Amino acid sequence: MEYELENSIIDKMQPEFPEAAFTIKKARRVEVKMSSDKLYNFAVRMQKKWNFLHLSAISCVDWLQDNEFELIYHFWNYDEKVLVMAKIRIPREEESHFETISNLWQPAKFFERDIHEMFGVYFDGSEDMERFILTEWHGPPPMRKDFITREYALNFFHYREYDPEWLKDMTAAGEANE
Amino acid sequence: MEEKLTQRSVWEKISNKLSKRSLWMLHYCTGCGAIELPPTMTARFDMERFGISPMVTPRQADILLITGYLSVKTLKRVVLTYEQMQAPKYVVGFGSCTINGGMYWNSYSTMKCLDQYLPVETYIAGCMPRPEAIIASFNDLIAKIDRGEANSWKDYYKNYDFYKANQDRTFEGPIETYNDIKADAAMFNIK
Repeated sequence: MEYELENSIIDKMQPEFPEAAFTIKKARRVEVKMSSDKLYNFAVRMQKKWNFLHLSAISCVDWLQDNEFELIYHFWNYDEKVLVMAKIRIPREEESHFETISNLWQPAKFFERDIHEMFGVYFDGSEDMERFILTEWHGPPPMRKDFITREYALNFFHYREYDPEWLKDMTAAGEANE
Repeated sequence: MEEKLTQRSVWEKISNKLSKRSLWMLHYCTGCGAIELPPTMTARFDMERFGISPMVTPRQADILLITGYLSVKTLKRVVLTYEQMQAPKYVVGFGSCTINGGMYWNSYSTMKCLDQYLPVETYIAGCMPRPEAIIASFNDLIAKIDRGEANSWKDYYKNYDFYKANQDRTFEGPIETYNDIKADAAMFNIK
């Protein structure tokens, strides 16, 4: 039978989370979409019951049209070698809030701090939400879709004028092509 | 006043003659251009033919080589490093990133023109420059020192307000450096 291992994992999890939507993306990659209030319970069971000891990453996607952030938790099982991606959606606000899972996995602190400064999602209950990589940054969270990098850079930084004679023909030819 | 600045005393001439063949280079390797430095330093291109040798601390270094892009975060460290160096000191901008942003021209976190924040002695164009170009620019620098024209470090003391304003604007507030630039300027008699 195809995807025997993946199906056995889903069969274990589905009864406890009947509303969650499980999909097998490919071999050893299982995706699960659930509502955001179920995520913490799911993470507890992943670690304590189903032996997914490793939190590989937490990633964030900005869905500007839906006005939502998508948080993706990547759990890895060392014994069965399966990755489970738990996807949840939270409302997109000036500073969105979500609960931390750093009491379950210590490394989650780093991922959450990173998401906080890149997307502006605050994780309630985390010990440390200080700046992580962009310590000298004062603008809006730069990974949000409505932050336009080029516009910001052109306004903020000084650029050198460079308009030599030999380049003018080439520039004109390029503009004519467009 | 202008004439006085360009005229060199005999002692300065001797000092330039001697220092041009004994330059210690501090390389600030955050960008990808650092990969061109090992062949420049070692047997193939052998930078030490010209008396240039790598140095590990800013206080003993003469050249600050900025290899590639600087983010806002690393620029702060570069400013601190630069101010710790003993005069005379020469900043060499390496690669297109230091000249006008290079391939990171529309990035929100990398600096575009290095000479807005530090006085740059020479630039090496290219993405990235070959060891031959690095050696050529060091030869230019040596010739400049010999002629007594490598005075960009004095520019930092003269136009400190300009550089400081640009730095503060980038970091959104003054940064704490360990050097009193105004007192140093008085010591060097630079107004």
